[in-house]
Amino acid sequence: MNAWTLAAAVLLVLGLGPCVVVATRGDPLRRLVGASLAGAVLVGVLLLLAKGFDRSAYVDVALVLAVLAPAGTLVFTRLLVEENRPGEENRDDPS
Amino acid sequence: MIRHDVALALLVLGVAAVLLACLALLTLPGPFPRLHATAVATSLGLPLIALALAVDTGPGRGAVKLLIIGLLVALSGPITTMAIGKALREQSARPRERRTS
Repeated sequence: MNAWTLAAAVLLVLGLGPCVVVATRGDPLRRLVGASLAGAVLVGVLLLLAKGFDRSAYVDVALVLAVLAPAGTLVFTRLLVEENRPGEENRDDPS
Repeated sequence: MIRHDVALALLVLGVAAVLLACLALLTLPGPFPRLHATAVATSLGLPLIALALAVDTGPGRGAVKLLIIGLLVALSGPITTMAIGKALREQSARPRERRTS
């Protein structure tokens, strides 16, 4: 248990806890805010664990998550916006 | 070792910023203030943590990779924030009927 793993544990409990609580309550878009922040916090946790266990190869996992978590959030926003438009295409079409 | 102390200081600052953002996510009312709370973590907390790790590893390829990860998170934070904000604005402009799904 060194400083890095301690920081990772603190972030896992006190950082991910509120994110999970927000991501499980209320409106879908508000839950998405919690999910996106959870992804960012997890990138930090993975980096700290890679350092704490002295495994520099584990940094690649954090790199992959840092690329994919925002992409997933963008896909979720697209899907939720399309869900909010129930079948009315060309709403702004003047013709 | 002075480098290790600097890294620990940066680590404490970064973890404090991320924890502040997560607690703000719980306490702030409404969706738009919560979006601001995520910005604290993505553009201040995680880059500080990545910088602390890079300082501790010392100069080399590993430190550059850590800094790139911090930059990635810092750049993707505003993009996702804008996307969620746009979706929230569309949703608040046209409140949809409650559907059981």
